[in-house]
Amino acid sequence: MTESPPVNGLPIRTLAEVVENRAEGGGGFCLTLSVPGWPGALPGQFVMISAGACAAVERWDPLLPRPMAVYRGHRPAEAGGTTEVQILFKATGAGTRLLAETAPGQRVRMVGPLGVGFPPPGPDQRVCLVGGGTGTASLYEWALQCARTQPVSVLLGARRAQELVGLADFEALGVDLRCATEDGSRGTLGRVTALLEPLLAEAEPGELSLYVCGPTPMMRACSQMAVRSGVRCIVSLENNMACGFGVCLGCAVPMTEGGFSLVCRAGPIYDARDVDWAGLP
Amino acid sequence: MSGPVETAVEFAGIPLRNPVLTASGTFGYGSEFGPFLDLRRIGGFVGKSLTLEPRFGNPPPRIAESPAGMLNAISIENIGVDAFLEEKLPALPEGVVVIASCFGTDPDDYARLAARLSDSPRVSGVEINASCPHVKSGGIEFGQDPELLKDLVRRVREHVSGPLIVKLSPNVTRIAPMAEVCQEAGADGITLINAIQSMEVDVETRRPVLANVLGGLSGPAIRPIALRMVWQASRAVDIPICGVGGIASAEDAVKFLLCGATAIQVGTINYVNPMAAGEIADGILAYAQRHGFSRVADLTGALELDRAPVS
Repeated sequence: MTESPPVNGLPIRTLAEVVENRAEGGGGFCLTLSVPGWPGALPGQFVMISAGACAAVERWDPLLPRPMAVYRGHRPAEAGGTTEVQILFKATGAGTRLLAETAPGQRVRMVGPLGVGFPPPGPDQRVCLVGGGTGTASLYEWALQCARTQPVSVLLGARRAQELVGLADFEALGVDLRCATEDGSRGTLGRVTALLEPLLAEAEPGELSLYVCGPTPMMRACSQMAVRSGVRCIVSLENNMACGFGVCLGCAVPMTEGGFSLVCRAGPIYDARDVDWAGLP
Repeated sequence: MSGPVETAVEFAGIPLRNPVLTASGTFGYGSEFGPFLDLRRIGGFVGKSLTLEPRFGNPPPRIAESPAGMLNAISIENIGVDAFLEEKLPALPEGVVVIASCFGTDPDDYARLAARLSDSPRVSGVEINASCPHVKSGGIEFGQDPELLKDLVRRVREHVSGPLIVKLSPNVTRIAPMAEVCQEAGADGITLINAIQSMEVDVETRRPVLANVLGGLSGPAIRPIALRMVWQASRAVDIPICGVGGIASAEDAVKFLLCGATAIQVGTINYVNPMAAGEIADGILAYAQRHGFSRVADLTGALELDRAPVS
């Protein structure tokens, strides 16, 4: 892979071909897509992917595409070429179960890249990335990029070892990696917040930047811990959305200062202090 | 196959390069589609419903998926008429036809808003949203009572000299009387249908999915209902009709034209495919060519009926 910085291009709508769809255990899948004309993405951006492969006849059920973080494959395609883009997802509902059934050679509809990327840490800061479940997907490229310039700790949490999606890729980064599982099958027994606690206790407020992506209760807990410690905390929010580009207004989340923000356009990346966590469903 | 097909139509006094518009609430303020679609490829777009003051929407969850459709309860979240006129309109390319949608809680709100929008040279027409299914006051109240609707349209008509369109609610027992009062009150055209009032439940939590409890159903699921209402309305009035509801393909759009619509609006499918409106415009042209129509306008009302309908 080249070391050129990823490019944040205008979103495209395209048909992407499935190169591989690998079951990761625990209901997780790693989908590799060959995307023509991929404009490149910033770490933290996402794509909208159709709920299952394109069929011989256009299908309208399930109707809506699903927002998914770009896991790997942030670099733009060469002129006229394609880029391999990877997505991590868990088969939980109708759309993701259909996506889990897609096979190499089939095609899926895709719109992206969408949303904004992660804001950089301070030049002398340590970086701590906290991922829960498939939330780890949005953090991988960011870990890779941050590790070039500063010390990085990655804390991953899941219910059990098989659900630590992308673990092998994070291991290969060679960063400080710690895991927590609720059944104790890998790493510390308990939640990922148990790993975060000592890290925050050791840190001076200004020397650490925290980036968190996972289920809402986990992000809420991490955010509260960070605020208590005076540590900057950036979260990547998930939400249902119909379009992904600021039109359906379905993905609005309440803000601390009042009003709503669209996760698809102003987000999915937010400073945790700006989010009204009590108002999130 | 004959010569070139004329795609231009006129709807409510507005010349359109083809009959494809996009539905209010599904197309933002137009510029959001810039990366995907040249807005000059379609007839025009109807903007998000505006109010006199900016307005926040409902708390989340605001949307839910349903079979071949979706429910929404956004509740007219919008930037307000001033920001639309000062920021959004000037940012659009020349030649894009803009229809502005108005929402209010009483006829005076609607009239003031419609007059301001109608006065802008960049606004080709105004569409009165008399049918939002998920706000507490305004909107659907007007769309469900023929006397209130007639009064509303008459009041707005007094203040608007340009093209005036009324968007009707499907949440009525009979659509024809609603269309008739619009015509009597001086509307230049009718758009139908808005979303169908609906709800969805999460059985695990035993709660409504939408924070607002009730929402509006849209998408392909509602298309046959929309088609039926467009056909009934077109038989009741002489003013032109814009058909909307679940259109996802050119074939869907042609069905509405055949049932009496002069133009159509592409709605929910814009979320799924932001290039859909352009593809549908191309597909209508291809249909006209394939069936030997020299003008797309001739598709309007070209439904072949072998017998009178039962009701």
